[in-house]
Amino acid sequence: MPTPSTARMHDFEVVSNREIADGIFSLVISAPKLASALKPGQFVNIAVPGDASSLLRVPLSFYRADAEAGTVELWYAAVGDDTRRLSQMGPGSTSNLLGPGGRGWMVPEGTRKALLVAGGIGVPPVLCLAGMLAEQGVDVDVCLGFGTASKVVGVDEFRALGATVNVCTDDGSLGTHGFCTDPAAELLGEGGYDYVASCGPAVMMKKVAAAAAEAGAYCEVSLERMMSCGFGACNTCNVETVDGMKGACMCGPVFDASKVVVF
Amino acid sequence: MGTVNMAVDFGGVKMQNPINTAAGTFGYGWQFQNFFDVSQLGAITTKGCAAEPWPGNPAPRMAEIPGGMINSVGLQNPGVAAFARESGPWLEQLSKDGCQVICQVAGHSVDEFVRALEMYVELCPWAAGYEINVSCPNIAAGGAAMGSTPEGASSVMAACRKVTDKPLFVKMAPVNVAEIAKALEAAGADGLSVINSIQGMAIDVHTRKSRVAKPKGGLSGPLCHHIAVRMVWEVAQAVDIPINGVGGVMTGEDAAEFILAGATCVSVGMANFVDPCASLKIAHELEAWAESQGVKDINELVGAFEC
Repeated sequence: MPTPSTARMHDFEVVSNREIADGIFSLVISAPKLASALKPGQFVNIAVPGDASSLLRVPLSFYRADAEAGTVELWYAAVGDDTRRLSQMGPGSTSNLLGPGGRGWMVPEGTRKALLVAGGIGVPPVLCLAGMLAEQGVDVDVCLGFGTASKVVGVDEFRALGATVNVCTDDGSLGTHGFCTDPAAELLGEGGYDYVASCGPAVMMKKVAAAAAEAGAYCEVSLERMMSCGFGACNTCNVETVDGMKGACMCGPVFDASKVVVF
Repeated sequence: MGTVNMAVDFGGVKMQNPINTAAGTFGYGWQFQNFFDVSQLGAITTKGCAAEPWPGNPAPRMAEIPGGMINSVGLQNPGVAAFARESGPWLEQLSKDGCQVICQVAGHSVDEFVRALEMYVELCPWAAGYEINVSCPNIAAGGAAMGSTPEGASSVMAACRKVTDKPLFVKMAPVNVAEIAKALEAAGADGLSVINSIQGMAIDVHTRKSRVAKPKGGLSGPLCHHIAVRMVWEVAQAVDIPINGVGGVMTGEDAAEFILAGATCVSVGMANFVDPCASLKIAHELEAWAESQGVKDINELVGAFEC
């Protein structure tokens, strides 16, 4: 029998839920067993109460898990009805989630220098990875892309981990005017990276993967798909790979970029 | 609890209670084993498999809509041989533990259905029965047409009947159900699963594209429930073989509606995605409802709808 998902049902209570940038929220929940089980790059699938006609859960990556405090912090964008309802859940509100789900970042042993590239709400799982790499003493350079300055998140947190951070905005309102894939490709061209990780818009990850392949660096990407169950039963979150269709909830969300056909 | 007999006989499949799972929403069963004891269900129906592996459709395969979802999975499956090898041992143990296993058969043509069923009979002898999916609207090459006419549906059923004496069921397309049900009964079906997902469309008006990879997809979830109840009732008036009610069951009362309309057993579908423990909760709620009706046997309530 293939291995079932690591996800279990966890009740949680909201500790805090505040807007940290325009439309981007930080949600801290208390869920002790989950907090000690989550690994960087995995996801949770949250039941957001309040609308009987909206049935499916909301799959979200997480930023950090504190096993001692029993809390998990998630950053999410309020972009649809479900995430807008989630943003209304105040401290003390309760619900349940399924997690931890999927395969997280698999950084090769012996990695010494990493380039992390994240766009928009792709930042949290990459920031989570940066924390793990910092603990392992890996040198980390970061390229971040956002639409505009009001939507920028994570820059201070990356710098606090000792990472070198390049910020780009589409409108030039902060950092370099343009896409973060340009500085990422430049850095990769200079060489020295043995690991690259990326999460953000599909077109961004595709460019990063191509630049990493050219530079000969192993690259992982965290992909987003519409998901019905999140634990390997429904076959809806498919990712086309060189080895056939793979479910993002079980074989991902983090994939070896060289195996991905459709990002 | 425990005073009502909940055991039912679905066309030769002896179920300890009337709760089954809808193919495609319950994987191969083992995906749920860490959430609850699957052996407490009456039966599970495994995701359809064909003689050869099918890759399924590109992404996106699903969009959420009010009261349900629309899917365009395209029956991705590893083929019967890989299914039997990977999931067979767990499913065989499940059937020994008291939960019957019904395997769904997929195919693009009569020959493909027959070949897949022959493989199941050889490789999955632990299966209590087989459900022939003549109706999956995702099947491109004529599959939908086969299930949507009495001649097409019964030609598949008649060919499969020659393969095995084991219980054979048909997952019916939600069209012309009474007439097609009669044809399937005549062709030797032991029972009918009513209904499969309903074809629908969801368009992103900003991009003007379908919200799933193909123009059309299959609607499922509570939004289908009352259409399914009506169709179960129509089929129950038309045939004598037992019915498995499928469509938007979220609670024990939803399941009870199917029983009253004439279903012998009930499959839980989308609810499995919302809460992986939903099917067992629904089994308990159904039993509580049967108790509340003052009967000794759930079978007394099958078709007990009063107009």
